[in-house]
Amino acid sequence: MRSSFENCIRCTICVEECPAFKANPEYPGPKQAGPDAERFRLDGVETVDKWITLCTQCKRCDYACPYGVDPSKLILKAQIRYVTENGRTLPQVLFANFHYVAVLGSMFSVITNVITSSVLIKRLLRSIGLRSDIPFPRFRFRTLQRFRNQSAVHKPVAAAAKPRKVAFFHGCYLNSNAPDEGRMILAVLEHFGIRVVVPKQICCGLPALGNGDLAKARGFATENSKELAKYVDEGWDIIYSCTSCGRTLIYDYPEILGTDEGNRISENTWNLYEYLLLLRDERRIEFEFKPVKRVISYHIPCHLRGRGVPYPAGDIIRQIPGIELHIQDENCCGFSGSYGFKEKNKHTTDTLGRIAVESLTKANPQAIISDCGSCRMQISNFTDTAVVDPIQVLCEALGIRTSVAGG
Amino acid sequence: MKFDVAVIGSGMSGLMASIYLAERGVSTAVVSRGNPICSISSGCIDIAGSGPDTLKAIDSFPGEHPYHKVGKEALLESIEYFQELMSKHGLEYDGDSRKNRSILTPIGKRRVTSLVPFTMKAAETADGDAFHIISFKDIKDFFPSYLTGRFPDAQVSVFDAGTHTTVGIATKMDNDDFLVSFVNWIREQEIARDKIAIPAILGITKTREIHDRLERDTGRTFFEIPTLPPSIPGLRLYRSLRKIAEGKGVSFFSSAEISDFGKERKKILGLTIKKPGRPDYVDAEAFILATGSFVSGGLFSDRNKFSETVFDIPVHSPAGEELFNEDFFKLGHPIEKSGIRVNDRFIPEDSEFENLFAAGSILAHSETMKYGCGHGMAISTGVAAAKHAEEYIR
Ligand SMILES: Cc1cc2nc3c(=O)[nH]c(=O)nc-3n(C[C@H](O)[C@H](O)[C@H](O)COP(=O)(O)OP(=O)(O)OC[C@H]3O[C@@H](n4cnc5c(N)ncnc54)[C@H](O)[C@@H]3O)c2cc1C
Ligand code: SF4
Ligand code: SF4
Repeated sequence: MRSSFENCIRCTICVEECPAFKANPEYPGPKQAGPDAERFRLDGVETVDKWITLCTQCKRCDYACPYGVDPSKLILKAQIRYVTENGRTLPQVLFANFHYVAVLGSMFSVITNVITSSVLIKRLLRSIGLRSDIPFPRFRFRTLQRFRNQSAVHKPVAAAAKPRKVAFFHGCYLNSNAPDEGRMILAVLEHFGIRVVVPKQICCGLPALGNGDLAKARGFATENSKELAKYVDEGWDIIYSCTSCGRTLIYDYPEILGTDEGNRISENTWNLYEYLLLLRDERRIEFEFKPVKRVISYHIPCHLRGRGVPYPAGDIIRQIPGIELHIQDENCCGFSGSYGFKEKNKHTTDTLGRIAVESLTKANPQAIISDCGSCRMQISNFTDTAVVDPIQVLCEALGIRTSVAGG
Repeated sequence: MKFDVAVIGSGMSGLMASIYLAERGVSTAVVSRGNPICSISSGCIDIAGSGPDTLKAIDSFPGEHPYHKVGKEALLESIEYFQELMSKHGLEYDGDSRKNRSILTPIGKRRVTSLVPFTMKAAETADGDAFHIISFKDIKDFFPSYLTGRFPDAQVSVFDAGTHTTVGIATKMDNDDFLVSFVNWIREQEIARDKIAIPAILGITKTREIHDRLERDTGRTFFEIPTLPPSIPGLRLYRSLRKIAEGKGVSFFSSAEISDFGKERKKILGLTIKKPGRPDYVDAEAFILATGSFVSGGLFSDRNKFSETVFDIPVHSPAGEELFNEDFFKLGHPIEKSGIRVNDRFIPEDSEFENLFAAGSILAHSETMKYGCGHGMAISTGVAAAKHAEEYIR
């Protein structure tokens, strides 16, 4: 993970964008935690300070820095070093292995969902440094992976001249916690005559990276790359909808894998909506939308914002007649996957969540959309407004039968 | 993706150009590597000189200065346009662009500028003018003792906000409960003056509400004093302009490292943005180069050469080797004269391209520090370049 900290001119532009700095006086911000401290960390004598774990890895600092410093990369490296030097806490182990938690959680979903809401377990969670005051995501038994073995339900209606074929990387959340939304994505792809498969896959590895376990992350990435590279080599494109998984595949796989497979995956991975826009521009598909009368606020996940392109789901949804879309990209929701589950981050997470929701609800929306499951979970902790995946709105506009909240 | 105009740089000049174009139905993209200088600036709009009259100051600027290409009429119009946009957005800018005023800096000195955000409207203080100072416990980047050194009559009250950075305090101010406790605290203080100076922390998003509420509930006049960066008034200015641009349909490409561009004879066809994974492509009919000067990365220099970082346009420079021998911290160092020379249509003179325009602090002879023309020059040249770009594509 390279970053040229020597380019830093200490302008503090990155500091203005940092959510952790904004909400938590203990965190010195990306300039100090990144390039400034790196000068000391380089010689290897100084150990890493504990506040390094307060960075959410939202990447907003990289996005802001005009000089290509990428403070978040320096910080991630230091976070990994901190965990190596100080040992892993139980929550770190738990979330680094979130894939297994999710698999087990879904397998025994009836039990898990009861357990995670029981008083005793809540006390246990607290005792290991996890929050018990927010709901754990509900695990679903019928995961997307189970669904993949069944035949397609939706018949393609508008087969294009030369069909594209895509392999869908769903990640943990869509698989175990939101498989309905996952199915909607498959349905939309099929609606446009795109051939879609759900390859065998495990966690993208980001939670392991975020909890300081590079080896585990590499393990996950290696596992995924075997399967995904096979598809790429046979001319399939990889599609993601979870913007954090997508970011990991595109930005981190080349570096953590260090193989050519990593590069090939990175080069051939697409945001679902970016892909649909591409096909539309190539005139392979056409958008024909039924009107959907609704005021919608769109919370841009940090990891989508960091791509630095106009927001593709927004560009599509804006074209649906009747929709009034308000884009909000100035706030990090504060949850950042496993970060928000930790008791020590509660204040930061709640402060940021409140700020984000306040600006999202300003336009009195009937629904809030966001690509990221973790953002949606966090936002719904602070508002009664329906918080849904953009795919639900798209399904409604395309007349693909689903139950859409907020309508 | 394809646009009518691609603006490179998201600073004052690039954003103003993009807003101007988008308002006229021109499909516009802004491509930038990072956030601009204006987000760490004081948020005040310097127009020209340090005397009372800005237009008089411009008369004394050398013939090559970009203001003479803009023209006084167009300069005043573009600043008025900026003020209208900001008022509609809820961040009013106070002042008359023909005049200068002085505001206090965090070290108690005065600084000349022309327009100020409404939070600094009351900042002009005559000698002997009395004001009270509210500061914050352990605050960074603001120094009340410098102020009281110069204004011995000023009393200071210190509030414990539970956080010590300007960004942290401003974030808390945006919270209603916090604001109430702050207002209640002020009411308990003994404050003999009608005017209260406060570091620039009156919220990031709800500034209007906060400012008005403070004045209403305490019966005093408040004015903000800009702090060292990070700078909240600068951040508000940048975010507002960006929001205005987005609202008018401008598409943003950010974190954008432009690695290559396509050309055909005298035309630039498109930009290649290097990214992990695949590059992005931005094609357009016309391009506006608003990438700023050395400090912003639009220009680059090493001992042997000055260069322009996107299209490698020859950089005009008044002198050669001796540049490096002069005192670097002297105001008006010849290096400030360097930049891109443009013709009357803001097309770079030393480039081969007919669909490229340039604006902002990248322009040669702008010398923003020496002439006190920072944001004002960026706004007016941004709008001017946009007009010529629009004319070109029509
Ligand atoms: C520290 C400081 C404080 C200042 N404070 C004030 C003030 O309070 N009031 C005032 O009136 N003036 C101030 N000025 C002067 C003023 O900021 C500038 O003159 C003016 O704002 C410059 O605007 P600009 O549009 O030319 O470019 P900049 O704001 O410099 O923006 C340049 C943009 O281009 C992007 N960019 C650069 N290179 C590339 C590249 N190769 N590829 C893609 N994108 C690129 C940058 O990331 C940035 O978005 C200040 C200047 C400095 C240095
Ligand atoms: S990392 Fe970049 S944005 Fe942050 S202080 Fe350094 S140069 Fe400025
Ligand atoms: S990644 Fe996010 S939280 Fe971490 S330093 Fe950068 S801006 Fe702050």
